[in-house]
Amino acid sequence: MRYVLFRNQTVRFVDGTEQRYRDASGPLHRWGIRLSELDEGEIAAVEEFFAANQGEFGSFAFTDPWNGQVYNNCSLLGESLDVQTVAETRGGTTLTVVENRG
Amino acid sequence: MDMLVYPQLATGALSQFPIRKQHRKRTVVNTAADGTSIKLADPNGELTQWQLAYADLSDAEAGALEQFYSAAEGTLNSFVFLDPSGNLLAWSSKLDDEVWTPGPLLSVIGGISDPDGGTEAWRLTNSSAGAQDIIQTLEAPAGYFYCLSAYVRSAQAVSAAMLIGNGRADRTVANQWTRIVFAFSGDATASSIHFGLEVPSASSLDVFGLQVEPQGAASAYKATTTGGVYQDARLADDVLAITTTGVNRHSCTVNIIHAKHL
Repeated sequence: MRYVLFRNQTVRFVDGTEQRYRDASGPLHRWGIRLSELDEGEIAAVEEFFAANQGEFGSFAFTDPWNGQVYNNCSLLGESLDVQTVAETRGGTTLTVVENRG
Repeated sequence: MDMLVYPQLATGALSQFPIRKQHRKRTVVNTAADGTSIKLADPNGELTQWQLAYADLSDAEAGALEQFYSAAEGTLNSFVFLDPSGNLLAWSSKLDDEVWTPGPLLSVIGGISDPDGGTEAWRLTNSSAGAQDIIQTLEAPAGYFYCLSAYVRSAQAVSAAMLIGNGRADRTVANQWTRIVFAFSGDATASSIHFGLEVPSASSLDVFGLQVEPQGAASAYKATTTGGVYQDARLADDVLAITTTGVNRHSCTVNIIHAKHL
């Protein structure tokens, strides 16, 4: 899944009219990545990546799988990585990558 | 040896599928209105949790788990836990790291092409007149059943020895990448055990994917940095519920945690 997030504010007046303004310099992107049928080596690589980034603390470049555009300042979202292995070479997990501002 | 260790099953495996493993890292995040954020890492907030589901355990296996629960007194006492889905070795793709102890006359050179198409393999060259080894010692129960595996190749056919504690097995190394495997159980009274490879005199071999697992056979290679030995792990529950589903057939679920701050 891919999201584009804007941060806009709306001021509504008594007569029903509204004034809107941007609260940020531009949109931020977010990707939900669900991985399944991973083998043990792939799971280990994801775990090492999570550890190397200290969860959501670190930042990295991420290539948007939809269009190949590289976003240079991204992080993982959330403090935990949940890996479930139901059989040999059948592991799965879900990651969310967010674009950072600044 | 007073080290309390999590029991292996009769097969030598530590767990059954499915295995659920959760990593948690703590980061303090202050997000401003425009979406910019300031982050502060808290390395000591790290927590790892396993959920091990067992089915069709024998009376002896269920008894061993029950005995272990009693010895640990539920969540009270800590124990050594070996990650059942991990590679126990630290820095498995960095043989010049200080966790590895090479023989004094063994040359260890990195950047060699590996069987996965990268350059993560290492060349071990022994130009001396005697055998030289490279080992890593783990503070893990030596009496466990371990499987050591590695991908190796050599320009000339040589015989390399795989080392697990006081056990060794000679394996022929050909000029194509081949995975060599050795499963062994060491001295049950020792509280640490070493794993490694021995290179015969006047020979050279390329190595990739050194891996140790607490089970009888090798699974896919997992490159590591920290390794899979967790000292001071604890049971997450005070209750162990064992369901008997038939004669000599039991099932249960065990939750284990390892927290850096505990």
